[in-house]
Amino acid sequence: MDDVSSGLKSRGLRIFSHFGVPKQLGSGVKGVSDIHPAIIRLGLLFSEFKICGANARCIATLSAFKTVIQDYTTPPNTTLARHLMTYISPQITYLVSARPMSVTMGNAIRQLKLEISGSDIDLPEQDAKDELCQTIDNYIRDRIIIADEVIQDLAGKKIKDGDVVLTFSRSSLVQKILLHAHAEGKRFSVIVIDSRPLNEGKALLKALTSVNPPLPCTYALLSALPSLITEATTVFLGAHSLHSNGAVYSRAGTAIVAMMAKAHGIPVVVSCETYKYSESVMLDGFGKNELAPAKFSPSDPKPNLMLEVLNPLYDVTPPTSITAVVTEVGMIPPSSISSIPLALGVATL
Amino acid sequence: MPALISPSARFDIRSAYSRILQNEQISTPVAAILALVELMENTTAGTMFELVQELKDGAETLKHQSSNSISLNAGTELFIEFVTLFPHEASSFLELKTELIRQGHQYVTEALTYRDKIAQLAFDFIKDGSVILTHSYSRVVMQTLLWAHKRKRISVFVTEARPRGLGIKTAEMLAAAGIPSTVILDSAVAYSMDMVDFVLVGSEAVVESGGLINAVGSNQIAIIAKAANKPFYALAESYKFHRLFPLSQYDLPTHNSKLLSFSVPRGRAHRNSTAKPPTTLPGSSLGSSAVAGVKDSDPPASIKISQEQIARNNPDVDYTRPDLISLVFSDVGSLTPEGVSQYLVGMFAG
Repeated sequence: MDDVSSGLKSRGLRIFSHFGVPKQLGSGVKGVSDIHPAIIRLGLLFSEFKICGANARCIATLSAFKTVIQDYTTPPNTTLARHLMTYISPQITYLVSARPMSVTMGNAIRQLKLEISGSDIDLPEQDAKDELCQTIDNYIRDRIIIADEVIQDLAGKKIKDGDVVLTFSRSSLVQKILLHAHAEGKRFSVIVIDSRPLNEGKALLKALTSVNPPLPCTYALLSALPSLITEATTVFLGAHSLHSNGAVYSRAGTAIVAMMAKAHGIPVVVSCETYKYSESVMLDGFGKNELAPAKFSPSDPKPNLMLEVLNPLYDVTPPTSITAVVTEVGMIPPSSISSIPLALGVATL
Repeated sequence: MPALISPSARFDIRSAYSRILQNEQISTPVAAILALVELMENTTAGTMFELVQELKDGAETLKHQSSNSISLNAGTELFIEFVTLFPHEASSFLELKTELIRQGHQYVTEALTYRDKIAQLAFDFIKDGSVILTHSYSRVVMQTLLWAHKRKRISVFVTEARPRGLGIKTAEMLAAAGIPSTVILDSAVAYSMDMVDFVLVGSEAVVESGGLINAVGSNQIAIIAKAANKPFYALAESYKFHRLFPLSQYDLPTHNSKLLSFSVPRGRAHRNSTAKPPTTLPGSSLGSSAVAGVKDSDPPASIKISQEQIARNNPDVDYTRPDLISLVFSDVGSLTPEGVSQYLVGMFAG
């Protein structure tokens, strides 16, 4: 019986089968023993979902790479600019085996590789490494920390006294916006909508109610959304990434919240830093997604021949359901996301 | 009101602005820009920073005196942005200031030609024999219609645009020019929409979302046009493009809690003042002595509502969403609502 069931099970899922069978951490990586311990630690944290969220993962990845770069020594007969790239690649593959790479990590690593390849050959090794670590710090500071502060101000202007703000799951940026507006003295209340399996909304609820004075909050699951949506005046959502057709790729459930809000004529504001912009076009949640590992599935009923448990972690919100996108370059309508590179003064991001 | 201690306070920007506005052809944003240029001519600021600060203070003063400041803001922000981004290559501050003043005047001269440009651009979209619906009074729409009338046959429906009734002014001017036109009630727009080929409106401002801020009633007309599948065109000079992003009607800077507020009739107030809740069902008419809590000795309240009260309680402008607008015609070309944001980003990105 076991042989038969395991043989049939290995055929995999019927939907989302194009994602393949979930692999073990570290499988398919050449030279696993050469991976830096900081990266191994990070991979473990990712696969256990201890570090969750696009911003958190990117900052953790970049900090780990700073350690890797500082511990790196250029072997003889090669330059830092060329060899460091080949040294970093298996580290990246290792992280991807833990969890598929987020768009934020991808953009940041691409920028890092650009900096490495542009590294001056004549610089002494320690100086080159310090310079690289400095660019990493600058990237985090400019594209994430300071961008968040600008977005807090911009989005905060849209919160007025007496508003009821509805948000979904936990976006680090939306949390900052709400706490900032509250600290400015605005009197408003928050509805936190949450969903399984990650229940990240609980962390947001804790953060909002721990301040002094606490923000008045309501917590509900996605199934209670239709009853609560009429109470909301604005909906604030976070994003994992923003695509060039204006679609927002975010935690599974975001699309439902956005579409329902739009159907009730409630403005939907997505807050997102520009480094989350991806040039690809996303039309649905099938082409690219991630399934939660088996530990998040309920233990009863057990998956067997007749039953598979699916937990896609992301979904795609179409641009028609979004009223405005707040980035650090301003508030823009979703249809003109492609003007972001223009606003930043670069040809591509 | 900010306490203006600087010497250029002697230059009263408000009287300059009112004087400039007396010229019928000059719209509020252009008048604001001219007022700021005059402020620059009379300033004693010695550095760029001081100058920009004085311009910002001047703009604030103008904003406070005007009840409808959206298009005024568009003009002042555009000019201040221009001054801030102007390359500081001049050898002395005085030279720079002179250059800025010259550029300001040059811009205004050019801005006065924008309406002609728009009229010529929109001309190609007007077919011979078109029936056009327009709203209230707009100088740029007037110029477009007069221009089109020279070569093509058009007829125009104009909404009355209560409470100010500016639509009547439009119809009178069109009739004087020989264009067949008629005034329709604001409530008759849906009735007449099937007779119309397209809708043409002016604008107070075109905003970042690609939406339109215009005299109240424009949103209604846009919704009806969408339902009847008729194109809705907005005409806007480029100095009316504004980086505002209203999320809804009530997110407009012109909205306040007094608009569309409910007045409390006297009968109800009595009921609230007695602590006892009414035990009988309230009568259908207010002030009826059958209502619990209202003393029988009170005469039935008769409320008279005047036209001024109605005008005060209602909004002047409304916001039309970008998905209801087909095209925005401007001196920079014909833009889709999505294209407006691209243009604004390009203009203000620096």
